[in-house]
Amino acid sequence: MAVGAAVAAVVVLPPLLTPGGESTAGQLRALRVLVPNAPGGGYDITARTAAKAMEDADLLRNAEVFNLPGAGGTVGLGRTVAEKGNGKLVMSMGLGVVGSVYTNKSPSSLLDTTPIAKLIEEPDIVVVGKDSPYRDLDELVSAWKADPGGVPVGGGSSPGGPDHLAPMLMAKAVGLEPRTVNYIPFDGGGELLASVLGGKVAFGVSGIGEYRDQIQAGTLRVLAVTSADRIPGVEAPTLTEAGVDVKFSNWRGIVAPPDIPDVDRERLVDLFTTLHSTKQWKEALERNGWTDAFAPGDQFGSFLEDENTRVATVLKDLGLA
Amino acid sequence: MFQQLMDGFATALTPTHLAMAALGVLLGTAIGVLPGIGPAMAVALLLPVTYGLEPTGAFIMFAGIYYGGMFGGSTTSILLNTPGESAAVVAAIDGNPMARKGRGSQALAAAAIGHFIGGIIGTTMLVLLAPTVAKYAVDIGAPDFFAIMVLAFIAVTSVLGASRIRGVASLLIGLTIGLVGLDEMTGQQRLTFGSLHLADGIDVVIVAVALFAVGESLWVAAHLRRTTSEAIPVGRPWLGRADLKRAWKPWLRGPFIGFPFGAIPAGGAEIPTFLSYVAEKRLSKKHRDEFGKGAIEGVAGPEATASASAAGTLVSMLTLGLPTTAVAAVMLAAFQQYGIQPGPLLFQRESSLVWGLIASLFIGLTLLLVLNLPLAPLWAKLLRIPRPYLYAGILFFASVGAYAVNADVFDLLVMFVIGVLGFVMRRYGLPVLPAIIGVILGPAAEQQMRRALQLSDGDLVGLVNTPFAVVVYVIIAVLLFFPLIRKLVRPDKPASPDREKIDV
Amino acid sequence: MTTTKAWLRERSELGVSAVLVVLGVVVLVDALRIHTDFAQRGPVGPKAVPILVGSLLLLVAVLLARDVLRGGRGEAEGGEDVDLTAPADFRTVLLLCGAFLANAALIGVVGFPISGAVLFWGAAYALGSRHFVRDPLIAAGLSVATFLVFNNLLGVPLPGGPLMGVL
Repeated sequence: MAVGAAVAAVVVLPPLLTPGGESTAGQLRALRVLVPNAPGGGYDITARTAAKAMEDADLLRNAEVFNLPGAGGTVGLGRTVAEKGNGKLVMSMGLGVVGSVYTNKSPSSLLDTTPIAKLIEEPDIVVVGKDSPYRDLDELVSAWKADPGGVPVGGGSSPGGPDHLAPMLMAKAVGLEPRTVNYIPFDGGGELLASVLGGKVAFGVSGIGEYRDQIQAGTLRVLAVTSADRIPGVEAPTLTEAGVDVKFSNWRGIVAPPDIPDVDRERLVDLFTTLHSTKQWKEALERNGWTDAFAPGDQFGSFLEDENTRVATVLKDLGLA
Repeated sequence: MFQQLMDGFATALTPTHLAMAALGVLLGTAIGVLPGIGPAMAVALLLPVTYGLEPTGAFIMFAGIYYGGMFGGSTTSILLNTPGESAAVVAAIDGNPMARKGRGSQALAAAAIGHFIGGIIGTTMLVLLAPTVAKYAVDIGAPDFFAIMVLAFIAVTSVLGASRIRGVASLLIGLTIGLVGLDEMTGQQRLTFGSLHLADGIDVVIVAVALFAVGESLWVAAHLRRTTSEAIPVGRPWLGRADLKRAWKPWLRGPFIGFPFGAIPAGGAEIPTFLSYVAEKRLSKKHRDEFGKGAIEGVAGPEATASASAAGTLVSMLTLGLPTTAVAAVMLAAFQQYGIQPGPLLFQRESSLVWGLIASLFIGLTLLLVLNLPLAPLWAKLLRIPRPYLYAGILFFASVGAYAVNADVFDLLVMFVIGVLGFVMRRYGLPVLPAIIGVILGPAAEQQMRRALQLSDGDLVGLVNTPFAVVVYVIIAVLLFFPLIRKLVRPDKPASPDREKIDV
Repeated sequence: MTTTKAWLRERSELGVSAVLVVLGVVVLVDALRIHTDFAQRGPVGPKAVPILVGSLLLLVAVLLARDVLRGGRGEAEGGEDVDLTAPADFRTVLLLCGAFLANAALIGVVGFPISGAVLFWGAAYALGSRHFVRDPLIAAGLSVATFLVFNNLLGVPLPGGPLMGVL
C-alpha cells in the first residue's frame, strides 16, 4: 500500500480530470467508453485500442474507458439504455451481446440503442485435430448427419454466443435439426483448443485468434472458414465453397444510448469514421489481426437489425429465446 | 537448452530488462495487496501503456506482475483475513490465526519463501518439462476432471470441523451459493430471481471476503474483548528452527500439486491450494490439531502450490497458446498485440523472447523474495494498530474490493448478506471453510460432469472411460475403504474416537 | 409462557435448521421452475444438481434439528479478540452494519471519498473508538488516498461525487 501511495503521489500531479467535455465547433473533447465485459476481454481490447488510437491521432483529448461487466454484456447494455440522451457515452459491443439479450432475458435490447459504427470482424473456423478422421468438411458433415449426438461440437462461447450460433446455422443449412446438435460450451477459445487438440470433441468452432500458430504447426486442420471470403494464410475453403450455405462472422462495433440529439449522433459517427481512416487504427487492426469491417451509422443499424433477427430465429428454434 | 537459458539470462540481465522486472514485481506486489484488483486486471489495464515498449521488456514486466501479485495477494489474506484473489483464499485459513497470535511475520515469511520455492521449482519444471507436460495437458478431459472433483469432495470431509452435521450444512450453503447464475451448459437462469446482476453468479472472492472478513468483524463486534485492549504482539521477526522444520516439507510438496494443475486447462489455483492444505493436514501427525488455528504448514504448502501453479499456467500458454487462467488469457491477448502467437512454434520463432522471459522469472522470484522477506515484519506491525481501526480498515478494504470489480452497489449488498450469514454461522458453530470450498468445487464439478456426459452423448460410461479417471477412482476407493480394511485386519483395536477438530 | 421462551432460547439453533429449510425450499422451487423445453443432451440437465442440493438441505435441516433436540450444540467460535463470556452486544453489531450499509447507500450519491470515510469512521466508532479529531482525519485520509490510487493511478473508476468535482 505504501508503494502504491508513493506512486500515486507522483502520478496524480498532472490534472487527470478533464473538465466537462463541452464541445466547441463540432469536435468532441471527452468521451466515455463503456465496456460490458471484464478487462482483457474482446470488447475491452477493442475499446481500449480505439480510445488509444483516437488520443494518439488527436481526435479526442480524453477517452475514458471503464468496465461494467455482467450477464454477457447485458448489464452494461442496461446502463447504456438508461443513459438516454447522453451523447458523450458509447458502448463497445459485438455479436455476443445480441445473443445474451435473449439468453439472459434482458429487458433492454440493442435495438433500443443508437448504432454508431461496426468496426471489425473475426471469422470463425471449423477445426479438427490433426489425428481427426475427418479430412474435409464433406466427411464431417456426413458423419454429423448420420449421428449428430455422437459428433459433439465444441465452441468457445456459452449458448447464444457466436461459437454456438455458427454450428447451429451450419446444422440448419445441412438439414439437421438444431436441437439435435450436441453443442458443448467451453470457457473461451483457449479451453476449447485443448479439447480439439486432445480429440475430446469431434470438431470445434471458434474465432481464429488463438489458433493461428497451431494451424501453421500442423497440429490443427481447418476444414472451413465461416466468412464470405477465404482468410489469407489459411488453406481452407469457405463454408459456401464447401457446400454449406452459411456466411457468418463474429463482429464488434459501437453503440450509443437511445434518443441522443442528432448533432451528437453525427458527431460520434464522424468521430469513428475519422478514426477508421487514421494510420493509428490501421496499425492497430494489423497488430491484432482484426479484419476491417467498417460500417457507419444507419448502415450498421440495418445490419444490427438483420443480425438480431437471425440470432432470434436460431435461439427460438432451440427453445432458448 | 542450457545454452538457451544462459542466453536468456543474458537478455534478462540487461539494465533495462532488469529494471522492467523490478518494476513488474513492485507493481505486482502493490496490486496484490490492493483489494479487488487481481493480476489479470492489472495486466489488462497496463496493456495499452505498453504498446510503446519492445515485447521482451513488456513480457518481463507482465511476468513480474503475475508472480508479484501472488506474493502480495497472500499478504492481505494473512494480515486482514481478506483474500484479494481466489488463489490466496486458503492462505487466510491458518495465516490469519497465526497473525492474530503474533506470528504474522512468520506466516508472511512462510508464504514468501513458499512462493519463492514454488515459483523456482515450477519454473524449473517449465524449463525441463514444457513439451512433455504440454502433450499430456490436452489429454486431460472432462471425465478426468470430474474424478479429481470427486476426490476433492472426499477431501472436504477432513475440514468439516468438530460437528459433522454442521460442517455438511456449511458445505451445502456453499453449494447453494455456487448454483446462483446462468447454467453454463444450457444458459438457463438458476436462483437469479430475474436479476441480471446475479446472472454471472457470485464471485468466490466476494464470498470468501464476506464470510471471512465481514462475518468475522460482525462476530467480533458482538463479543469484543474490551478488557484487554493490548495490541497484538509482534513477536520475533524471523522463522525459527522449529518453524523451518515444520515448513520445509510442505514447501517442497506444494509445487508438485500446483504445477500440473496450472498446466491443465481450467486447472487454476483454487483447487490445488485447497488440496495441498488438506494433504498437509492429513500428513501432519503432531500438529494436526493446530490446523485452522495457525499451523504454519497450512500456509507454507498452499502458497508454494499457488506459485507453482502460476508456472504451470505459463507452460500451456507458451507451448500451446492455451490460457488456463484469467491472467494467462490476458497475457495471451498481449502476445497477440505484438503479433506473436504463442503455440508450438513459439520456442523456435521467438527463442530469445521466450528464454529471456523464463530467465526473468527466476530473477523476478529472487527480487520478490528479497523484497518480501524484510517487508514481512513491517507488514506484521500493521496489526498493532488499535482494534477499532483494524476492523474498520478490514471492512473498508473489503468494500473497496467488492465495489471496484464491477462498480456495482449490488455487490456490496451481496457481500453484506453473506457477511451476516458468516456471523450466524460463527454463532452456531458452522465452520466457514466448507462453504467456501462448496462455492469453488460445486460449479466446477457440475460443469465437468455434465460436459463428460455430453461428450459421450449421455452414456454414463463417459464418466469413467479414461485411464486417468479410473486411477483416481481406485485411489478414492482405497481411501474410503482403507479404515475398513484396517479394522478387518486388526479387529480387536477399537476405532479411535477422535474426530478432527478444527474451527475455521 | 416463560418456560416456552426459555426452551426456545436454549434451542435457538433450531433457527439455523429453519434457515436451511427455507434455503432448500427456495432451491427446489427454483429448480422445478426451470423449463427444459430446449435442446438438452445427456441424463443430467440444469435441474438435477439444484434438486440434489435442495433435497440435501432439507435432509440436513432435519438432522440438525434432531441433533439440537437431543442436546447437541454448535460451539460458538472463539478467537483472540472474542470474549464469549460477555453477552452478545447487538448495539455494536447494528452500528457496524449501519456503517457498512451507509457506504453502500451513499457511494452513488456523495461519491466514494465521502462514503468510504463514513464507513471507516462509523465502523471505528461502533467498535469503541472515540477520538473525535483523529478518527475522521484518518478516515478521510484513507478514503481519499484509496480513491486516488484506484481512480487516477490504476484507471479503475470509483465514483468521485461532488467533492472531487470541486477539487
